[in-house]
Amino acid sequence: MSAPQIPNLKTFRGPHGSRMQRRGLPVATEEEKTSKDKIIQATDQDASVSRLSAVEVGYLHDHFAKAFVVSESDRWTRRLPIINRGTYVRTTAIDELVHRFLSAEPIVKKQIISLGAGSDTRFFRLRGSGSDFSDSIIYHELDFAANTSTKISTLVQTESISQCVPGPLEISSDGSKLHSPMYHIHPVDLRSPFPTEDPMNPYAKPVPLDHVDVTLPTLLISECCLVYLEAAVAEAVLDYFASLFPSGTSLGLVLYEPINPFDSFGKMMVSNLAARGIVLQTLQAYHSLEVQKNRLRKHGFIGAAAEDVDFLWENWISAKEKERVATLEMVDEVEEWKLLAQHYCIAWGWRGKEDAVWKFWQGINDRKNPALLDQPVHERVP
Amino acid sequence: MSDLDKWIAALRACRTIPEASVRELCYKARELLIEEGNVVQVDAPVTICGDIHGQFHDLMELFRVGGDVPDTNYLFMGDFVDRGFYSLESFLLLLCLKVRYPDRITLIRGNHESRQITTVYGFYDECLRKYGSANVWRYCCDVFDYLALGALVLGTSSTLEPSPLEPGSQSNMPPIDDSIEIEIMNSRNEITARFPRSRRRLYDHELTSSSPPNSPSQTQRTSTPSRTPGGGPPGTSATTSAPASPSGGAVLCVHGGLSPLIDSVDKIRLLDRKQEVPHEGAMCDLLWSDPDDIDGWGLSPRGAGFLFGADIVKRFNHMNDLSLIARAHQLVMEGFKEMFDSSIVTVWSAPNYCYRCGNVAAILELGEDLTGGGVVGRSNGDLGRARGKEEVVLREGEVRSGPGRRYRVFEAAPQDSRGMPAKKPVADYFL
Repeated sequence: MSAPQIPNLKTFRGPHGSRMQRRGLPVATEEEKTSKDKIIQATDQDASVSRLSAVEVGYLHDHFAKAFVVSESDRWTRRLPIINRGTYVRTTAIDELVHRFLSAEPIVKKQIISLGAGSDTRFFRLRGSGSDFSDSIIYHELDFAANTSTKISTLVQTESISQCVPGPLEISSDGSKLHSPMYHIHPVDLRSPFPTEDPMNPYAKPVPLDHVDVTLPTLLISECCLVYLEAAVAEAVLDYFASLFPSGTSLGLVLYEPINPFDSFGKMMVSNLAARGIVLQTLQAYHSLEVQKNRLRKHGFIGAAAEDVDFLWENWISAKEKERVATLEMVDEVEEWKLLAQHYCIAWGWRGKEDAVWKFWQGINDRKNPALLDQPVHERVP
Repeated sequence: MSDLDKWIAALRACRTIPEASVRELCYKARELLIEEGNVVQVDAPVTICGDIHGQFHDLMELFRVGGDVPDTNYLFMGDFVDRGFYSLESFLLLLCLKVRYPDRITLIRGNHESRQITTVYGFYDECLRKYGSANVWRYCCDVFDYLALGALVLGTSSTLEPSPLEPGSQSNMPPIDDSIEIEIMNSRNEITARFPRSRRRLYDHELTSSSPPNSPSQTQRTSTPSRTPGGGPPGTSATTSAPASPSGGAVLCVHGGLSPLIDSVDKIRLLDRKQEVPHEGAMCDLLWSDPDDIDGWGLSPRGAGFLFGADIVKRFNHMNDLSLIARAHQLVMEGFKEMFDSSIVTVWSAPNYCYRCGNVAAILELGEDLTGGGVVGRSNGDLGRARGKEEVVLREGEVRSGPGRRYRVFEAAPQDSRGMPAKKPVADYFL
């Protein structure tokens, strides 16, 4: 019902409560920085628990979800119905965008780069889907070394997961980095500068991370990741990727983020999360659907769209699917669902607008376009 | 000090009482509730409250704002349990007060007073956590089955008396007079808005605590739909529905709303209520339905109950000689919301619902008709109050004159009143 474990209360003490601050010393100590990082890293576990709940109740089909939940008992934590529904809509809508990207010209190799991927299972699910694009994906995940190490060790220890990753696997000696022909895990702190041709020159040309191919059509995904960075840092991350890929390469971006911090629900969300040590640093800067779209355009994504989760539930989830999930559990909290769902959005942008890889992204909101919407993603694939 | 008073003292301090005491309390409560009809008759003055949802400290704030039991008469419209962290303490305290002061407090059933819903939304888990077994949950569920389905408030006044609580700083407003139909007060007992009876002709569709008192711009925007033929010009009270008697009429209180299977209050009385809330049927609808801007009936997004439109409410009120339906069930950010020309109101009494929604809460005070003219001689609220069908010819916009209504709007209890060191509730978000 609530968080899976009570977090260490000491970590609730922001910089204001700390002794160092009172003595007038400069901001956060290394120790405090580390503990803040740990809180952000722990948001991945929170998301994994939510995902497992949505899977166990029957909203999502994901038999990889269980392996990534660190639990002392075998019993999974059941989230509230509206949280399950939200997890379901978020996952299904991003799956929809990803499938549409991969399904256009399915045999052309395509690249996905997932920022702050944590224990996300999307690569394994795509591999296991048996779709005609399943063999043409190059998938990169970036996250803190603490999270990538956990993921790699789970992957190695869980046969059903390692089966999805064609070998040979090349794992770094500290266990935080993985390379393989299709799947790469990079231990990266997004706040550190990305590699360039000349580290001394701030205007030097960016160079790609290992095995990132700047000539492949590429989709960037940030599922609740950039929002935890300082706005300037989040911008720098997007700038890096936007300038890394030459203008001739098709590049797309999918963001999943909270919005609307200024109404009374939004204010309470900000303060409740702050009490847990979680600061949504870019929320003020990208507070609405309109601002999110402008943000995408600013980074050169000619096509730009954003919808809140309430809209996605109403419009992207088919009547048949709605009927199916309605039987899973009673969702009594209709008003609360709307409130919550209007405070999260998915924004997506693409460049190389006429490129064939985006043909299924065009008109995605047009209900008259039969395309792929009528059938939910996990039913489309065997 | 009797056992009952000891339990009340413990529960008021947000401490649980032993399992054996809960059992005894529930037994006594059931004895009492079994005697009540499906629709309890309640005499004004009374303070009507909506969902509580286990937010114990906010329930204490409600009593601080509205007056304590037994000084104030209360009617709680259900959803005592689930979602909040203190469903047990909240429900058991209300139950103790019911047993201790049966004529001062009325409890009716909400859709969360059900075995099935409480296993999903928290009350079952809370009982298990606090007692180590499901026994207390079972005792409480047995009581749920005996809660009334509705209440009929009689003897209301069409005018407002000055607030009975200490005057606070009411000097910011002129003294109250007969033309005032609605007064809104904050938790410091200060008047924040007043609406004269003629307001209803000016902008009638919805009223919440954030609606500004009538102003010319409001008049321009929403005056069209219900201007009564023959009614006075906007801005005057010369309308066909000006109060003819000091009585404010009868008010039906129910958790959710109406049912397509129920066309009279008498039909509610005929239901067999002593059971788990069914998945469909009249009893289910009364606890699950919602008013909505539609014509007639519609399917509910909740998967139980129905949506019903203004025409349904107006017809039902007219046929049953009701001036107002008060219901709860839906989160309203402003604490209350009057709809359909003030023929129905939603009252919501859980501030910052789930420690997450950032909403304010409200309670509704209905005063007593002291003239004795309006109610005496009419039916006493038992069988046969409904008007004959031939009378049901609703003129467009015709509305029965409503009772004087005072809404007290309040916020969540301050953190320090919760007396829990660093016990910040964890609300779920998507991370």
